Amino acid sequence: MIEIHELHKEYAGAEKPYLALRGMSFTIKRGEFCAIMGPSGCGKSTLLNILGLLDHPSSGDYRLEGVSCAELGDAERTRLRREKIGFVFQSFNLLPRLSALDNVCLPMVYADVARAPRRERAAELLERVGLSSKAAQSPLQLSGGERQRVGIARALANRPALLLADEPTGNLDSRTSGEVLELFESLSKDGMTLLLVTHDPVVAKRAHRVLHVQDGLIAGPEGPR
Amino acid sequence: MRIGEAARTGFLEILCHKMRSFLSFSSVAFGVAAILYTFAQVNHTYEGVQKKTALSGPGRMEIHQKYSRKQNNLHGLSRGLTLGDAEAIRKNMPELYMVAPTRSGYGNFNYGAFKTDLGLRGITLEWTKRDWAYTLRGRFINQQDIDQAARVCVVTEPGGWSDENKRPSWWGRWYNDVDDFKSFIKRTDLLGRTVRVNNQLLTVVGILQEPPIDKDPRGGWGSSQGGELTVPITTLQRYFSSDSGDRYVPESINNISVDTGSEKIFLAAKHRIENLLDSRHRGEKDFEIEDLQEEIEKKLQVMRKNAIAVLSIGLVAILSGGIGIMNVTLATIFSRIREIGIRRALGATRFDILVQFVIEAMLLGTCGGVAGIGLGLAGLRYLVEDGTEKIQSLHWWHFPATLAISAAVGFLFSLYPAHTAARLDPVEALRYE
Repeated sequence: MIEIHELHKEYAGAEKPYLALRGMSFTIKRGEFCAIMGPSGCGKSTLLNILGLLDHPSSGDYRLEGVSCAELGDAERTRLRREKIGFVFQSFNLLPRLSALDNVCLPMVYADVARAPRRERAAELLERVGLSSKAAQSPLQLSGGERQRVGIARALANRPALLLADEPTGNLDSRTSGEVLELFESLSKDGMTLLLVTHDPVVAKRAHRVLHVQDGLIAGPEGPR
Repeated sequence: MRIGEAARTGFLEILCHKMRSFLSFSSVAFGVAAILYTFAQVNHTYEGVQKKTALSGPGRMEIHQKYSRKQNNLHGLSRGLTLGDAEAIRKNMPELYMVAPTRSGYGNFNYGAFKTDLGLRGITLEWTKRDWAYTLRGRFINQQDIDQAARVCVVTEPGGWSDENKRPSWWGRWYNDVDDFKSFIKRTDLLGRTVRVNNQLLTVVGILQEPPIDKDPRGGWGSSQGGELTVPITTLQRYFSSDSGDRYVPESINNISVDTGSEKIFLAAKHRIENLLDSRHRGEKDFEIEDLQEEIEKKLQVMRKNAIAVLSIGLVAILSGGIGIMNVTLATIFSRIREIGIRRALGATRFDILVQFVIEAMLLGTCGGVAGIGLGLAGLRYLVEDGTEKIQSLHWWHFPATLAISAAVGFLFSLYPAHTAARLDPVEALRYE
C-alpha cells in the first residue's frame, strides 16, 4: 500500500537547511492499522504531510498503491489526495459556517458527486458515526467527540484507501477518545488502511503496529506485534 | 456542481460579513447608478428629439428676414421677404411638404375692461402642417378666411405647467408667473365673441389649447413663443401693417417655414430655395436660412458630451468599487487561510479555490449592481425632473447590462487575490492560526 524509500525532507533554515526527514524507509500493507509515535519535532507531521500528498519530499521515493508520488505535480497530487486519502485532524478542521452534513459533503463536492447521492452518502456516514440526529447542526454546536466523529465521516466520504489521522484524540478527553478509537478499530476491521500519529501510548496500543520516529528516522522496535 | 457550491459558500460569507460586504459593494452601486442615469438621460433626450423631429418634420428650415439693411451693406434693391417669395417657392417646388409663410406683429388687445398687448401671427393653411401640438376648440382659420382677409382670429391659450403647484424650477416660475392674458383667458371663454385689436374688430372662431410647457413635444425648440392671436396672413397684412417702418412693403412677411418632407432632398432643396430667393431679391442677401437639423444636431452633441462625462464618472466609481472588492477579497482570503488549507486537504484543486473567491467577488459585484439599479431608479424618480418619463425611456436590457458590468468588475478585480489564494501552500495554510 505504502512504500517509502530513503525519504528526505529539508527546510530552508536561517543558517543551514533543517533536515526534518533523513532517509526514512518503511512499508505499510493494505489493511494495516499503524501508529506513528515520537517526540515533538521529530518529523512526524512532515511525514504525514508527505504521505497525504500535501507536501513533497526533497528526495527519496514514495509509492502509494504502486504509483510513484514523489515527482507528481500539484494537480495530480490533488486528484490522488481526493480519491485515495482521507484526513482526520487534531483540531477537527470543520468549517463552522456549514452544517455537519455539508461538512461531510465537502470532499464529494470536489469529487463532482451530484447533489442527491452526495447528501445520501453523507447521511449514511453520519449514521455510521452515530450522529444522524445532529446532521443539520453547526460544528460549533457539537461537542469535541462529536466534532471528531464528523471529521472521520468527512474523511471517509470519497471511500479512500488510506486514512491519515494526526493526533485525532489530542483534543479529546479519555472517554470520547475511547469512542473515536473504537470507530478507528471498526474501520480497520472493514479493511481500511489506517495511519495514526499520536503521543499517547494508550492510543498506540490499539494499533497493529507502532513506528517510532526519532530525529527524522524510524527507531526502535518495528514490525507487527 | 462545484460552481453552485461556491456560489452558496460565497453567499453565506457575504451574509456573515454584512458591513464589510456593504461597504465594498456600495461604490459599485454608485457607479451603476450613474451609468443607469446616463442611459436614461441619453435615451430620454433621444426620444425627445425623435418626437420633435416627427412633429416638426424631417427636413425643416426657417427662412428669416434680415432687418438691418445698412449693416449688411444692402442698397434697397430688394423688397425683403414677401408672401410672393413663399408662393414662388411653393410653385417651383411642389414636392416640398410645407411652405408656411408667417408674419408677426403686436396688437393692443381689448375685450370689455381687459386690455393687454398681444403677439399676432399671420399664417396660411400650410402653417398647420407641422408643429401642431394643440387641442382645437371651435374651428381653425380656413382658406376662405385667407382669400377674403376675413376679420377672424384664433386665440392661443397658454398651457402652463402640467402641475401648477409643483413647478419644476425657478426660471419656469420667473417667466411664467404673472401672465395677465393667461389668467384672463382661463376666466373668459372667448369662443364666438368679438374682440378688439388695434381698433379692429375680430371674431374669435377657435381656441388653440397649448400643451403644458413641460410636456410640450416641441421641446422648447419650436416657435411657440408669442402669437397669442393667430389670424389669416392677409388679414394681418391688410389691417395690422404698421406704416411707420423705414420702408413699407404691404405684403412683407417675417419668416417662411419649410419642411422638405424628407432628409434626402434637404440640401438640394436648400440650394434651390437660396437661388430662387437670390434672384427674386436681386442678389441682396437680406434673408437667412436657418437649418433646424443643425440645431438639433448641436443639442445632441452637447448631450453626448454630457453623457460621456457622466459615464466616465460612473466608470471611475465602478473602478474604485472594484478596488474595494479587491481589498475585501484579500481580507476574506487572509481570514480564511486555514479554510483554504482544509479545502485543499479534502481534495480541492487550485482552480476550485480560485473559482470560489472569484464567484464570491462576482456575487458582491452583482449585489452592488442590484443596489445600484435601485439607487439609480430612486434617484431618477425623486431627484430628477421628468424622472418617471426618463425611467420609462430605459430599455429592458439596460438592467442586465449594468448587472453584467458590475459582475465583470467583481470578476476582474478578484482574479489577482484569488490567484494568490490558489497558490497558497496547503501545509502552510493548514498550520495557519
